[in-house]
Amino acid sequence: MDTLTGVEHLAEPDGFRNFVQTRSAALLRSGWLLTGDWPSAEDLVQTALAAAWPRWASLRRQDAPELYVRKIMVNTFLRWRQRRWTGEIATGRLPETQAYDVFAQVDARQALLAALDRLPPRQRAVVVLRYFADQTESQTAAAMGCSVGAVKSHAAKAMARLRDAPGLSELLSGGVTS
Amino acid sequence: MNNEERRLADVMHQVTPDPPHPVTVEQVAYRLVSEPKLGRQSRQSRPSRPSRESGRGREPRARRGGLSRAWAPAAAAAAVVVIAGASAGIALLASSHHNPPPSAGGAPASSSVSSTPMSGSPAPSQPATSGTGIAGAPWGAQLIDHQTFVNYALVSSDGSLYTYGNGTLDRIDPATGAVAATTRYDPPLSNPPVIVGNTVWVVWSNSGGNVVLHGYDAQTLAQTASILVPAAGRVSNVADGILVSGPDGHLYVAAGVSVVEVNPASRQILRHLYLTAGTASSLAISPDGGTLYVGIGTSDSFKLLVYNLAGGTIENESTLSSGGGAGDLVATSGGLWGTTGSGMSEWTWFAPGGNLARAVRVGGGAGGGFDAVPSYSGGVVWIGGTQSLSCASAASGQVLATARVPADHGDAEFVSSPVVAGGHAYTFFVNNNATGQSGLAQLTPPGACSGVSS
Repeated sequence: MDTLTGVEHLAEPDGFRNFVQTRSAALLRSGWLLTGDWPSAEDLVQTALAAAWPRWASLRRQDAPELYVRKIMVNTFLRWRQRRWTGEIATGRLPETQAYDVFAQVDARQALLAALDRLPPRQRAVVVLRYFADQTESQTAAAMGCSVGAVKSHAAKAMARLRDAPGLSELLSGGVTS
Repeated sequence: MNNEERRLADVMHQVTPDPPHPVTVEQVAYRLVSEPKLGRQSRQSRPSRPSRESGRGREPRARRGGLSRAWAPAAAAAAVVVIAGASAGIALLASSHHNPPPSAGGAPASSSVSSTPMSGSPAPSQPATSGTGIAGAPWGAQLIDHQTFVNYALVSSDGSLYTYGNGTLDRIDPATGAVAATTRYDPPLSNPPVIVGNTVWVVWSNSGGNVVLHGYDAQTLAQTASILVPAAGRVSNVADGILVSGPDGHLYVAAGVSVVEVNPASRQILRHLYLTAGTASSLAISPDGGTLYVGIGTSDSFKLLVYNLAGGTIENESTLSSGGGAGDLVATSGGLWGTTGSGMSEWTWFAPGGNLARAVRVGGGAGGGFDAVPSYSGGVVWIGGTQSLSCASAASGQVLATARVPADHGDAEFVSSPVVAGGHAYTFFVNNNATGQSGLAQLTPPGACSGVSS
């Protein structure tokens, strides 16, 4: 029998399907906050899950699959921001238009995305991980490959920028009208 | 977290919409196999060691140069991903409305010519029916039906013959050569009908991102099932023989860069095998059901992957030294059979153990618009074509007997690879230069083709 070259076999890891089914929605929402559009969010989540697949058994033993997937998402997002031209937003739907601004949810959504767009990528990643994914400062630091102090610094600077973001400051003080 | 941060968290949770689509395991697997670097990305981005979390406020420098040394041995591109027990359902299509099947035409030949049976199984003790002798035809071929099938594949099961051509799928009574049942069917590619239990399965369509299978009652050919098998990526544009069955009755379908195992009884997908070596163009399963052969063919190259089906692991990969094509694979105990090339340059090979590096030529092929797809029936492998008709040992590939296929006024005649039904060998014989000299023929192969060598 010939020796195989460049070939290895990978089986669907135990628990992987269940994780994808139960957590992909939350991961996609984080991806949307990071990237601002669904196609990019899906790309981000698929990329992270594909990266996690080969070492899933190890991640499960460490009880840290989601932390790891989020780490890949953030790192991938940061790489994209470094390398990709991000001026074009791929979207399967037409962006919400002014006519829909009467709805507070859409207003708030656009204000949030606009505010997040004002942040440098690392600050944006810290905001999503800390305040949306509810990760601790240590977990956020581990995901981003930085120190806890750096996380605190990024978070403080991000909050300062968001505080002045048009539309979002009102939300932070007054909330969202459903 | 202070109040302002808590308020931001609330806003983000409230206004972030639900995603329009979920992410599926199949999408992830497809990304993984189509972009092997993704599988290595995890190693590039390993989680930081716990001690880093309590670092001194200095961010670690990004690693340069790709893979760390520790991970390098494991960084070979993933060639196969097996999703065992995948629960992705198969969409059942609504039964399509068919035109009324055409009437079965053609009457059995009336002239009687006795035939000499070959020794041992599957030789008959008496000829099944009388036929019309064909001058110069090999192995005493007698036409028992003069229908002008356009057939490249003849399959036997439970005493019946099945074939397709001229826009129909047909069940033929070998006793008379007459069409016993028929239904409309336009084959999208060359793929012998696959009979599992009481159902005849065919590839109904093979295009874009899907393969559609249709199932028909084995007796009446009334449609009983339709299964949509989603492909990973686009299906092969040089595909032949993409649907096969294993001894356990499961169907295997080449669907893009994947092979899908289907339980035809439950219509459920049981497993996906994802390939990074290319798009599957032909499949075969060993008689014991332990080995799956996947051909990855293009017009000018052909690669073969050999899988251990029990574990879903790849055991061998080899490439044909020259020639391409879909493969038209047939598996026996001794290895794999297939075709390469096209037109008059087509030929048939046997690869012991499924290793193309050891492949030998065993047949002259077809050409002229015909295929010389090997058939495994009655314990031996049969290889027809426009040049020669042979039987060969299923175990060793050794050619046991060969006869020349005649030409008529310079035009090659054609003999399809025979099959055995009810102890008799049958083939399709085509002579384009002589009216009424084409149709289903009964053969009397020599005793060497009795299957004792299998």
